[in-house]
Amino acid sequence: MKQYRMKTVGTILLAGSFFLVSNSIAAETFDEDTYGPEAPIIWEQPTKVSFSHKTHTMEAGLACDSCHDELFTMESGAALATGTMTMAAMLEGQYCGSCHDGNTAFATNMQCASCHMDMTELIPTDLIVWTKPVKAVIFDHKTHIEDFGLECEACHDSLFAMEKGAAERTTDFTMQALYEGKYCGKCHDGPTAFAANTRCNSCHIGVKGYNRLMGNDGQHGKNNKAGH
Amino acid sequence: MKIEELEKEINEGTESISIEERRKFLQMGLAVTGIFLGGSVLSLTSIAQANQNSPDINIPIEGQYPYTKHYSMVMRQNRCIDCEKCVVACKQTNHIPDAHDAYRTAIQERLTTENGSERREFRPVLCNHCNRPPCVRVCPTKATYKDPETGIVLMDYVKCIGCKTCMAACPYNARYFNEEKYAIDKCNFCLDTRLAAGKTETACAAACPARVRIFGDLKDKSTEIYRLLHMPDTKIWVLRPDTGALPNVFYMNA
Repeated sequence: MKQYRMKTVGTILLAGSFFLVSNSIAAETFDEDTYGPEAPIIWEQPTKVSFSHKTHTMEAGLACDSCHDELFTMESGAALATGTMTMAAMLEGQYCGSCHDGNTAFATNMQCASCHMDMTELIPTDLIVWTKPVKAVIFDHKTHIEDFGLECEACHDSLFAMEKGAAERTTDFTMQALYEGKYCGKCHDGPTAFAANTRCNSCHIGVKGYNRLMGNDGQHGKNNKAGH
Repeated sequence: MKIEELEKEINEGTESISIEERRKFLQMGLAVTGIFLGGSVLSLTSIAQANQNSPDINIPIEGQYPYTKHYSMVMRQNRCIDCEKCVVACKQTNHIPDAHDAYRTAIQERLTTENGSERREFRPVLCNHCNRPPCVRVCPTKATYKDPETGIVLMDYVKCIGCKTCMAACPYNARYFNEEKYAIDKCNFCLDTRLAAGKTETACAAACPARVRIFGDLKDKSTEIYRLLHMPDTKIWVLRPDTGALPNVFYMNA
C-alpha cells in the first residue's frame, strides 16, 4: 500500500514537470527579427494559398537564408509578380519545390490542403482523360461533386492519388480491379452507382472520341472507312 | 402414333441423330421445335414457321456448316469500347500500309442523344467471309475465292488485276486496294500470319481486352463460338442480311 502511494506521488510529480516544460516552450515569444513576419502570408491569386514563416523558421528550424533571396525575394508580392511561381515550376524544384520534393519535405503534388486554403478552387474543371491501359476513359469531377455531392475525401487519396497520371502508372488500373472494388469500383458496384461491368461507353469514349476531344479528328476516314 | 407408348421410351436426345437423318427429316418440311421424345410434347412445325421464330434466317442452322473447319467470328457488340487495339494488332500482324484507306478491320461509331446525355455505340467490322460471297462471284480472274477447307474468302494476289469490281460488290466495304501489293487486299482471318502457325485466334481477337471478338470453328462443338451461337434466347444478328450473302460474322449483346 505504501509502495503504491509512492508511485502515485511520483507520477503526479512527473506529469507536473512535463507540464512546466511544455508551458515554457509555448511561452517563448515570437521574434520577428529571427523568425520573419508572424502573420502568415496569404496569396489570393491565382488561388488562395497561405505560408507561415513561423512553421518554417521557429518550428522547422530553417534560417532566413534558406529561402531568401535565392528562392524568394524579401519583398511582398515579388514571387507572384514573376508569373513563374506555378505548381509545375515547384515540381521541377523551383520556389517551394526546392525543399518540398518528397524527401526534405512533403512533395508539392501531395497534401494540397496544407497550403491551399480553399480546396474547391482546385477542383479540375477539365475532363480527366486516361489513355492507359486503354484509350480512352473520361472522368468528370463536376458531375461527381455537383450532381452526386461527393467530397474530395470520397476518392482522395484512398482510391486515387491527387496527382496526374498516378493511376495510369500502376499495373492494376484495370476493369478486373474495379470489379474487386478498387478505384472507381468502390462506388461503381451496382447498388451505389451503376456497376463497372455495365454501361461501358459512359466512361469509355474510344479512340474516335479521344481524337475529337483533342481536336485532331482531321484524318477523316482513317480507321473509319466502313459505314461512314 | 401413340403418345402414351412413346413416353415410355428412353429419351434419345437430339444429339444422337445423324446429320443425314436430320436432313431427311428437314426435307419433309418439318422442324422439331419441342422436346423430341420422352417429354410431354412432341411438336412438329413447318421449317418456314420455325425460321420465323429464330432471330434471323441468316444464322446458319446446325448441320449446315459447309466447310471442314467453318471459321467464323462473334462480336459481342455492347462490350466494344473502341480502344482499337484490334486495329493496331491487325495492322502490325498483317502489314497493312499506312494509307488512309487501307484497313482490314475497323470500329464504327454511332453517337446518339438519350435524355439529353450523349450515348456512344461501337461496332467492330471486318470481312464477313460470306457463304455466298458477292465479291467471289464478280471477280473476272478468280483471284478471290472461297477456301474450300476453311470457308475463308482468300485473295490470290498474283491473279488480281486490280479492277476493283469486288470492292464494288462487297456489301461490307471490307476490301481495299493495296498499293504495295498492287492488288486488292482484305481480311483473311489471319490464315497466313497466325492460323498457319498453329494459333487459334486472329490477331484482332487476341488483342481485344474486352473479349468482344470471339473467333473459332463452328464445326467444333467445344469452341466458345459454338456455345455462344447456340445459346437459347440470345438475339443474334448479322449485318445487311438483305443481301443474301450469308455472312459468317455474327453480332450479339452478351
